[in-house]
Amino acid sequence: MAIHFIKAGLQTSIQDAGRQGLMHQGVSTSGAMDTTAMAMANWLVGKPKTSALFEFTLIGPAIEFSQSLDISITGAKFELTLNNLPVPSYQTIHVKAGDKLNFGKRLQGARAYMAFTGDLLFESKVLPDVLGSKATHLTAGYGGTDGKAIRNDTSFGINLPEKKSQVPLRVIDHKKVYHPGHNYFLRCVLAPESSLFNAAQRDNFYHQAFRVNPNSNRMGLRLEGEPIDFHRPISIASSGLIQGSIQIPPSGLPIVSSVDGQTIGGYPRIAVVISADLAKLAQLAPGDSVMFVKVSQEQALTILKNKQQQLSQLMLE
Amino acid sequence: MSNILTLKNSYHIVENGDSAITLLFDLSPSEQLTKVIIQLSTLLKRRYNDTPVLVELIPAYNSLTICFNPLKLPIQTLKRLLKELLQEDLTGYVSQARLIEIPVCYHQSLAPDLDYVASYAGINPQEVIAKHTKPEYLVHMLGFLPGFLYLGGLMPELCCPRKQVPQLRIAAGSVGIGGDQTGIYPVASPGGWHIIGQTPLNLFAVGEEEPFIAAPLDRVKFVEISLTEFNKRSEQLT
Repeated sequence: MAIHFIKAGLQTSIQDAGRQGLMHQGVSTSGAMDTTAMAMANWLVGKPKTSALFEFTLIGPAIEFSQSLDISITGAKFELTLNNLPVPSYQTIHVKAGDKLNFGKRLQGARAYMAFTGDLLFESKVLPDVLGSKATHLTAGYGGTDGKAIRNDTSFGINLPEKKSQVPLRVIDHKKVYHPGHNYFLRCVLAPESSLFNAAQRDNFYHQAFRVNPNSNRMGLRLEGEPIDFHRPISIASSGLIQGSIQIPPSGLPIVSSVDGQTIGGYPRIAVVISADLAKLAQLAPGDSVMFVKVSQEQALTILKNKQQQLSQLMLE
Repeated sequence: MSNILTLKNSYHIVENGDSAITLLFDLSPSEQLTKVIIQLSTLLKRRYNDTPVLVELIPAYNSLTICFNPLKLPIQTLKRLLKELLQEDLTGYVSQARLIEIPVCYHQSLAPDLDYVASYAGINPQEVIAKHTKPEYLVHMLGFLPGFLYLGGLMPELCCPRKQVPQLRIAAGSVGIGGDQTGIYPVASPGGWHIIGQTPLNLFAVGEEEPFIAAPLDRVKFVEISLTEFNKRSEQLT
């Protein structure tokens, strides 16, 4: 065994780029919530950017390695130690048999990622693809490690490539990508029902800082604040529900759909978070504040292009 | 909604974020409309076959949501293409619809809310079963959970408002009624529907080549089975 989880952490699962083209059968995308952090972690260990890796939530794990490996940690900021000495995130780390990696206090963000060289083995087998992906859907119970979160005292093997090419030490200046602290701005554009909300409802939505409710998960982020007041309920026929959709249920408190969200929904949507900001949803921790900022389609596209350009500059092959 | 003229005047295309658009029809759900939506989805899939331009096509009662890569396909091009396709006659779609029989055991041990639904409807449980197994339900779409079928055709007498407080866990295969809908929970999940029975079939067969038992435009008929039969078929599955 190569990677032994002494403690698994609060919610640890295997994720990758998820499933595409199956929403019409009710299968959500799943996969790493912070796709930027996933790409960076994999790049740091010299693997394709969408390779399977571990996703940790709010409380990180304690891991013992029993084999030499290159690993990397990205995403939420934790006090990380390797054999009780501080170790940095966002760079290649070489670990040896007997090394202990510990995730201490969480400083910022909600989800961290750990990538590793080689292919992961679970119960002595290469982790299978379910519907084309190794991503774990925790609520519906499929993919990853039998559809479940990783438990304490779980071990994984690693199949290293026969001719082990040395991974060069890589470092990412991740501060150039984002460093949000505890106050987030999520930029958004129109949703199908945006026009059904009146001016007062829209004002309320765009002019307050919501707080992230602890009941948030990979399906959706629940927000607290001054409810959007419905004088008259907005009733719509259920339709396709995509990542980043900001639904306003009868309570008036927004729910932002995320990677494991249901594929069809029936609540009116006031806006949709732009593609470039979807990865931020992964890092919203309970109590963090969120403000929504309206942008145009053209701006959204420019922001996306710039982000991709920036990422490719940070991760030169 | 049987002619092409009605269709041409009753849709609009709305933006749905920066990488999706939704085609919305101002029409009530019907088999005709579902045929048009599935036909459109098929045509779009064919047009962009094997290219990463279209990411998802999600049909629903009166809409089709199209997720695309905005870096590869400008939103205006996609809108124009949709408008072109809508000029064509989409009403003649011939699907390979099947009639799928779904065995359901309505035994009280698997039907905690059957008595409630019966008393709400003012009939006895046997009559609920008779009315539930009578129609051939139309599959409008799949969604919500993997393999969940949105079925049309529940008899109005069986409509029953959802529970005020959803149950924390409903077993996979549970057959329920919620509002004017009936359906089967493909995986264990929380839910607010009234459970009137359970099927031994697996609606989300992970790992199988065909994980889902039905597709849009198929018809579904519930067939009552005994508890003995249910147990036998459940064992065969495991």
